[in-house]
Amino acid sequence: MKEKILLKAQLPKLIEELRKIYRVLAPVKDNGFYVYKAISSADEVDLDFANTKIPPKEIFFPRSEVLFTYKRTDNGIELIEPENSVEKQVILGIRGCDAQSFLLLDKFFAYGKFDDPYFAQRRKNTLLIGLACNDPRSTCFCTSVGGSPFSEAGMDIILTDLGDKYLVKSLNVKGNELLERIPWIEDANERDIFDAMQLTKKALAAIKEELPIEKLNNTFAEVFDEDAFWLQFSQKCIGCGSCSFLCPTCHCFDVVDEESSTGGKRIRLWDTCQFPLFTLHGSGHNPRPTGRQRLRQRVMHKFNYYPKILSEIGCVGCGRCILACSVNQDIRVVFKAVQES
Amino acid sequence: MENLETSMRDIVKNLLNEQKVDLVIGYQKGTMPLRTTPCFVTKAEDSNKLVWNFCCDLNLIKYLLKDENKGKKVGLIVKGCDARALAVCISESQIEREKVIIIGMPCLGMLDRKKIEAEVAPKEILEARVTQDQIITKGKDFEHTLLKKDYIQPSCQACHYNNPPICNILVGNQPLELESAVDWDAKLAEFEAKPPEERWAYFTELLSGCIKCYACRNACPLCYCKECFVDQTQPQWVGKTTDIADVMFYHIVRALHVAGRCVGCGACTRACPMNIDLRLLSKKLEKIVKERYNFEAGLKTDEPPPMGTHTANDPQEFITEPE
Repeated sequence: MKEKILLKAQLPKLIEELRKIYRVLAPVKDNGFYVYKAISSADEVDLDFANTKIPPKEIFFPRSEVLFTYKRTDNGIELIEPENSVEKQVILGIRGCDAQSFLLLDKFFAYGKFDDPYFAQRRKNTLLIGLACNDPRSTCFCTSVGGSPFSEAGMDIILTDLGDKYLVKSLNVKGNELLERIPWIEDANERDIFDAMQLTKKALAAIKEELPIEKLNNTFAEVFDEDAFWLQFSQKCIGCGSCSFLCPTCHCFDVVDEESSTGGKRIRLWDTCQFPLFTLHGSGHNPRPTGRQRLRQRVMHKFNYYPKILSEIGCVGCGRCILACSVNQDIRVVFKAVQES
Repeated sequence: MENLETSMRDIVKNLLNEQKVDLVIGYQKGTMPLRTTPCFVTKAEDSNKLVWNFCCDLNLIKYLLKDENKGKKVGLIVKGCDARALAVCISESQIEREKVIIIGMPCLGMLDRKKIEAEVAPKEILEARVTQDQIITKGKDFEHTLLKKDYIQPSCQACHYNNPPICNILVGNQPLELESAVDWDAKLAEFEAKPPEERWAYFTELLSGCIKCYACRNACPLCYCKECFVDQTQPQWVGKTTDIADVMFYHIVRALHVAGRCVGCGACTRACPMNIDLRLLSKKLEKIVKERYNFEAGLKTDEPPPMGTHTANDPQEFITEPE
């Protein structure tokens, strides 16, 4: 399908059209930062953002989610499926790094014998309208992990901000179908397409970080046992879960049962390998008793185990962990140290 | 501040050269503007890595409590609030006084980085310079000059301890004159005057963003329990979800655990990735403890906090006569 042009003045009109068919999630400024929220009016949307603080993983993988409830009855236990009927939804303004994170999460939630139905259902019903990154932050390193500020991977439509308008490009059949429903949207001209290309080049040039992550795969394995190496980073870590909770690809969870005399529910919650409790065994033994082992786990999981098992780097280079860390633990410094070791 | 930085480095160098300490924990330049990161110095020649500026906001007491530093003789760079947190830890037998050389820094308050960043967001600060009374931030296509006094952290604005109440060495040898502080009593009085539903609504709204990453607990120098109540599973005291009831329960219990111990250093607020500021709650507790027990946390190393002791003379009318 030919590229289209959406004037910024037409954005509210587009959003209202979308809202007729979909639940629309978009970046909203809240308490000083941006989050993806289901919106009830186009006024709430603010596409003039770098990226959201909370990664959009929570749209598919909520912080806490009831998997099922159960009741004690005279005939035994009755299981009740949650009412997780997911309406059709669209995420507007997803960045390339985050769209890539969904592709990684897809692999995880469908890994092995079972395809996680809760996650899969939401993913299936969601259309992604991306927004290319004209202005990557200094903490962005997507190009070092196989991404790009203009990455289209995982999206159905991508918008490129051309100042007073967006270049709208459909990337697949789902995107085409959506754009066909919007008859008033006009075709782009050659100049618009040229301008978008120029912006791509500029954005790529703006990313200064070139971290040799793919080449480091084996080096990570070599430093695995070097306690002193990991200690230089873990010594400043306070062991909170900010980096994992705000990471778009961290997906580890805890499952708890909340029970009363009449029944209960099983809940899935975000968890993190940075907490000692994460690996504590029932016996009292903890295979990762120290901070350096926990920090190593997070790094190795993304940059060594993921490449080994799924042939992908488990990081999309969004830099959220760098921004979130209160003690300024910077994953880029870890890469450089691995490189130098 | 540069003078203080130079003196601090010299003191650290000497301490390490004379083998009076095994390790010094201070601050070094961070990887982003307006940030510092903890610095662990074991060799005298590395003392020059240490910095002292308006971004040295972390409370480093937490690091004394970490396993890898147990038993070591540590030199620690502290501000007034940090020294008070350290005093509480010492009074509660968590840190041995003689194992620490307290290198005290006179402090006029640290910058509120999040507030400065919010000022230019979604643009990004790529460079920042702090002068006597200004903060000059630069980004890709902007330059902003801000008045420093408007961007001091709220916890610092309320601080009366610009000089560490306990220390071995006061860097600069010049205690600072106290600056006028924010009137928390007035703020609290205004809040207390509200009906209970409104107060509850305030905290509910405030905490609705909590993602339970426990950064507040982990950054707090006084949350040193080997096993936090939220991590206990037999019995499980608190629900683990981010439903407001579970979130509220966690924060209320934590507040009670630090009542009469919290020194208001603001580490919890700074560490929160969701910008949640629970100071109203901690200040209220501070006020109650002051009124009931005439006690202010962190001023002495040999006085246990009121909630950790019992005497026959303890005020107790509030137990049977609720307000």
